[in-house]
Amino acid sequence: MDLNLRIAGEAGQGVQTTGSLLVGTFARMGLSVFATQSYLSRIRGGLNWFEIRIADRQLFSGREDADLLLALVPKAIQTLAPHMKKEGVILLDGESSDAPGCIALPLTKTAKDVGGSEVMANAVAAGAAMRVLRYPLDALQAFLADEFKKKGDETIAANRRCAEAGANIFGNDPPHLDAPAPRGKAVTLSSGTQAVVLGAASAGAKAVFGYPMTPGTGVLQGLAALGDEFGIVVEQAEDEIAAVNMACGATYAGVPALVATSGGGFALMVEGLALAGMLELPVVIMIGQRPGPATGLPTRTAQQDLLFALRAGHGEFPRAIYAPGTPEQAYHLTRRALETAHKFQSPALLLTDQFLMDMETDTPPLDRTLRPIDRHILADPPDNYLRYAVTESGVSPRAIPGGKAFVIVDSDEHTEDGHITEDLEVRVRLQDKRLRKESGLRAEALPPERYGPEDAERLLICWGSSYGPCREAVDLLGAEGTSAAMLHFHQLWPLDSAAVRKAVAPNKKRAPKKIFCIEGNATGQFASLLRTVGALSECERVLKYDGLPFTGAEIAERVRHD
Amino acid sequence: MINPPSDNRPAWCPGCGNFGILTVLDRAIEEAGVDRTQLVLVSGIGQAAKLPHYTRANVFNGLHGRALPAATGIKIANHRLEVVVTSGDGDMYGEGGNHFLHALRRNIGIKMFVHNNQVYGLTKGQASPTSDEGFVTKFQTHGVILRALNPLAIAIVEDCSFVARSFVGAQEHLKAMMVAALRHRGGTALLDILQPCITFNRRNTWAWYRERCKPIPDSHDPRDKMKALELAMQWDGGIPIGLFYTCDRPTFESQQPVLARGTLVEQFAKAAV
Repeated sequence: MDLNLRIAGEAGQGVQTTGSLLVGTFARMGLSVFATQSYLSRIRGGLNWFEIRIADRQLFSGREDADLLLALVPKAIQTLAPHMKKEGVILLDGESSDAPGCIALPLTKTAKDVGGSEVMANAVAAGAAMRVLRYPLDALQAFLADEFKKKGDETIAANRRCAEAGANIFGNDPPHLDAPAPRGKAVTLSSGTQAVVLGAASAGAKAVFGYPMTPGTGVLQGLAALGDEFGIVVEQAEDEIAAVNMACGATYAGVPALVATSGGGFALMVEGLALAGMLELPVVIMIGQRPGPATGLPTRTAQQDLLFALRAGHGEFPRAIYAPGTPEQAYHLTRRALETAHKFQSPALLLTDQFLMDMETDTPPLDRTLRPIDRHILADPPDNYLRYAVTESGVSPRAIPGGKAFVIVDSDEHTEDGHITEDLEVRVRLQDKRLRKESGLRAEALPPERYGPEDAERLLICWGSSYGPCREAVDLLGAEGTSAAMLHFHQLWPLDSAAVRKAVAPNKKRAPKKIFCIEGNATGQFASLLRTVGALSECERVLKYDGLPFTGAEIAERVRHD
Repeated sequence: MINPPSDNRPAWCPGCGNFGILTVLDRAIEEAGVDRTQLVLVSGIGQAAKLPHYTRANVFNGLHGRALPAATGIKIANHRLEVVVTSGDGDMYGEGGNHFLHALRRNIGIKMFVHNNQVYGLTKGQASPTSDEGFVTKFQTHGVILRALNPLAIAIVEDCSFVARSFVGAQEHLKAMMVAALRHRGGTALLDILQPCITFNRRNTWAWYRERCKPIPDSHDPRDKMKALELAMQWDGGIPIGLFYTCDRPTFESQQPVLARGTLVEQFAKAAV
């Protein structure tokens, strides 16, 4: 049993506040929550909406049709009424409405009358929604007390009165929707952004650099908020070029550093990425993908920068690319990216997107304890220390400046001691050394995760944030008797093709009859990559690039008919 | 401690002004009492940017134009290190122009020693941001038409905490300016060093600079911003060298509460135990 609720209004109307009140309340009641936001890149004026799906079993994705629409402006109805379930309920803030099936409620007026301020229309709306779902009001009242603790008892009381008034706003004949039963034990929630922030802070990232760009900004601001507690300096650089070069400087000096941006910002960082490759610095960059090219759809989602991230940078150098599918994975993979980058002295990229960063869903509590990664730093370098000593693994013992040995690094080709050289034999030796690190990275590559039976007839390959929707599609297909499984990749590079082939068909006698590659781009980038590395020959590409995330039902539909 | 450079021979033309800057820098480091193990020389790309390879220090020779952000990252990670950027006019004022502007605003404790020869040497003779108007090159075939950038005036306007100019032909003067910059504890320091490029700049020669460079009179008060700005506007009738401007501004480091607990490197190491 699940229910989908949509709150829509103009930017600045409190769509997010109402959404947050309900999300917090539902989580307290022990409902599984999957919340996403769809907003336009305008502070006021565009139509924004907040989607909250709730269920009595764990949710992994959103769904297309809504049961309850809370419209704060009439134009929300025009846009979103076609995406309602037949028996759905539409509530509009206002005195009257001529839209069919729509109930007009004086939410703002009630807030003014009862709470003394229009701002509290959020609490009125939340109270009304609770009544339609036949949920008792106490969870909302308790959440309001927590939420407004800092603002004092008066604010809490006023908001509670508004919630109460909202619940009673229908008079004796409130509309009803069947809603999932609360499971009692509160669930903890996390967004992708919060997870990356806690992953980085707990791993000991000490220096964070960036230039504001959706959807990377949340990570920068989230880490800034934790700066004093965890001992992190977060600097807003003058541009993305500066940000990545600052990270190169900070990692050279010996602290784990993180850069967060989006595809366009990463485009500016490409030369700096190559510098990290050449200097062998553990720079970690989070790329929050959104639809391009160029500015594209700034506040929407995409999985379009995989091949860009893989090939970014002139010259050839090793790197690791991770693509978390859930907030929980985002936490662990942020730590992993920092760890791997330090172990192999190579840049690591974290490929997220707007959908993952903004989604808020049930997540086991993320450990806030500071558990610093191993930087693999030489404590006591010898007198004849060579920063780029040629080794079998390609990894040279790394010292940091300020100790006994000089640490010399150069973006020119260099000798083992780090000095500029044009000796072509040295060039080949050092380039081979750097590239040898890739086999180490490959040996530690994380295998894809399978969900569903080993001998499924239909295999849904996906990566990054498509995890949830694909997983739900597998459940939907399974429920109707279609044999399907998901293979989700959360590390995209390096790939171990033999391991991938095995993961695709663990049971050689019963290999999948049909393989789909499900991606949020227009060209099937991961499918191409799997083909390039010889991991997969044929597959059906299921693509989406309208700026919205997949839903489970949508994937099931497209896979079922193929 | 000594890891000797593999090839210590500078790749500069005989007679290049960079030799003088290198010699004086070595003397200034000694005179200022800088511990070389705690010194990081940061540069971008260009003939000047090769300098860190020819002395003994930690070296970060990064990308063209990006010495300042790299230096900023180093200083943020370990603010006890002495971080000195030594790079050319193209690197610092052209490709890295945006970083130059914002470094002045940030006032982090980085010393900029800009080798300013008013020409691109590494790429063989194109105009630099400080080339005089009318300077003819193989690229600017009718002469430079862009107005020359005035780094000192910009730095004064932005309240850079230490703004000075010297000339490599005035070695004692240059050393005094370098030592003063190295001892400066008030944040970012800019030392613009005029230097002839004997191969690609036949206009601004040793003789040309010698004739024009005039020490700023002792009567100048470097805390007088408008007077400093006036001095910085002088060029054609004689080029003032010396300390133009200094002011007291809180440094970036001193305003980061997190750094009051020690350097980030120390804090990480402590947490990792």
